[in-house]
Amino acid sequence: MIGHQFALIKRELWEHRSIYVTPAAIAVIVTLGVLAMLVLASGFAKGLDLAIFGAQNIAGDLERRAVLAGFFVGTSWVFLVALMFLTVFYSLDSLYAERKDKSILFWRSMPVTDAETVISKLITAAIVIPAITAVGIWLTHLVNLIVTSIWVSGKGGDAGLLIWGSISILDNWLAALIVVIASGLWMSPFIAWFLFVSTWAKRMPILMAFMPPIVLGLLEWIVFRTQYFLTTVGERGDMTPLFHSMSLERFFEEEQWRDGVGNISLLEHMDLVGFVTDPGFWSGLLVCALLTTAAIYVRRYRDDS
Amino acid sequence: MTSLVSARGVSKRFGAVRAVDNVSFDIEKGKILGLIGPNGAGKTTLLKAVLGLTDCEGDLSVLGFNPFRQRKQLMQNICFIADVAVLPRWIKVSQLLDYVEAIHPNFSRKRAEELLRQTKIMSTSRVKELSKGMVTQLHLSIIMAIDAKLLVLDEPTLGLDILFRKEFYSNLLNDYFDEERTILITTHQVEEIENLLTDIMFINDGKILLDSSMDSLSDTYVELMTSGDAAKKAHGLRPIAEHEMFGKSVMLFEGVSRDHLEGLGELRIPSVADLFVAKIKEARK
Repeated sequence: MIGHQFALIKRELWEHRSIYVTPAAIAVIVTLGVLAMLVLASGFAKGLDLAIFGAQNIAGDLERRAVLAGFFVGTSWVFLVALMFLTVFYSLDSLYAERKDKSILFWRSMPVTDAETVISKLITAAIVIPAITAVGIWLTHLVNLIVTSIWVSGKGGDAGLLIWGSISILDNWLAALIVVIASGLWMSPFIAWFLFVSTWAKRMPILMAFMPPIVLGLLEWIVFRTQYFLTTVGERGDMTPLFHSMSLERFFEEEQWRDGVGNISLLEHMDLVGFVTDPGFWSGLLVCALLTTAAIYVRRYRDDS
Repeated sequence: MTSLVSARGVSKRFGAVRAVDNVSFDIEKGKILGLIGPNGAGKTTLLKAVLGLTDCEGDLSVLGFNPFRQRKQLMQNICFIADVAVLPRWIKVSQLLDYVEAIHPNFSRKRAEELLRQTKIMSTSRVKELSKGMVTQLHLSIIMAIDAKLLVLDEPTLGLDILFRKEFYSNLLNDYFDEERTILITTHQVEEIENLLTDIMFINDGKILLDSSMDSLSDTYVELMTSGDAAKKAHGLRPIAEHEMFGKSVMLFEGVSRDHLEGLGELRIPSVADLFVAKIKEARK
């Protein structure tokens, strides 16, 4: 079973190359952007010679740490947005494409159950894509720290102090990993819904995935003049239990007034225990299990080949 | 003889339509069975039931398994080619071999690579870069490298040119088939496979019209080419089909002894195609 899962997940990565091409493309774009900023900043003002993260004209230690933390969080956010799109498109395509090109007949000629197949796609969407995204975030951070360090050192700055000493790398990386994995689990009911639509829709799975919730929300508003359904679905997007509804503004405000000049910690703003003990987490997993079972059932029983 | 497939009262309904209607048959080890029927006769539905791809009513046992409930175990000992175009187009040949090697306990990668070396297929090619004939060669190489007890082929050479079709069946017979293996095949190009079949089954409107070994077929069915008074006399023996050819009557008899027909004209063993047409017409009367 586990051996099969490795082979099945590998198969997903062969088929959906965007899973690793997208993070790689973002990493390249961010790095080129940082390089461009470094060059541009140096060109504009001599005072910005040590530009961006290592800039000596940024008022003080805390500010530099904040800018670096801002870069780390900002890059991670770009990856998270890409992760969201990747997951939606991957999940909607994963069980639809095989029916469209009829390759489902080949896959089903192998000794693999429908449950194993659907679960491999769920694992890919909820865990593998987030994990690859985390690696993308780490590598982007690392490469850009190295690039900036070389730049700062070239300008005579102390990269060890100005760059590497101003950011808690492990704290940030662990936080990034927790956020992406937690988002996969937190969003798992949506992923399972997309998988279900992917195996059920005869055409245009993207429309089939988004129309029913919108129609349901509209009906609720028309009949009851309430918006509970869409609000519940929408609010799940901000992963409240992990961040206590924290806003980015409040995050920097809080950091501003912290005692001392320690590096900014993202982990301190997370509540992992609160997250895994939240009823919303477990009810989400339950909905995910139900919809995954439905997807397995449909793949097993539908016969439109 | 050991029954690999045993069907008793198997039916499959789609709404009011009975695609397979209460059929019973056995397939024994070491046979090559041709399942022949017109479009919409229920061939593919029956094959899907045998492969566990669709549920059905009645008792169906394949290699001792309930195909629908125990599909995973079944697929370790069954291979099938459903159509020539079902290999995923995005996959590379090497990836396909990696996948089957990881998934299938009875797959020999060495054997598959040996077979592929006899073709022009490169391991770095993607399926979408291969011609239709090459895709079939690739699929067949994989199937032939799997040590399976039953091979099911559903229109495996559809859309291929005559060279690939001949090569396909030649490879199948020479490099794959032995007395431990059984092949179940459906095709429209019945003339091309009738010489390699050991058994034959005709199906129409979900019902089996004929289930016979090829050997006993020649004992049961006789074709007579005759004319004049002899033709009138032959009519009395109630042929199941008759048509004109070169001004002569060609009659097909079922269960009539050759002794009775001797002297009435030229006797031949009917082709499967002629027999098929006669049985279908008879069923539609």
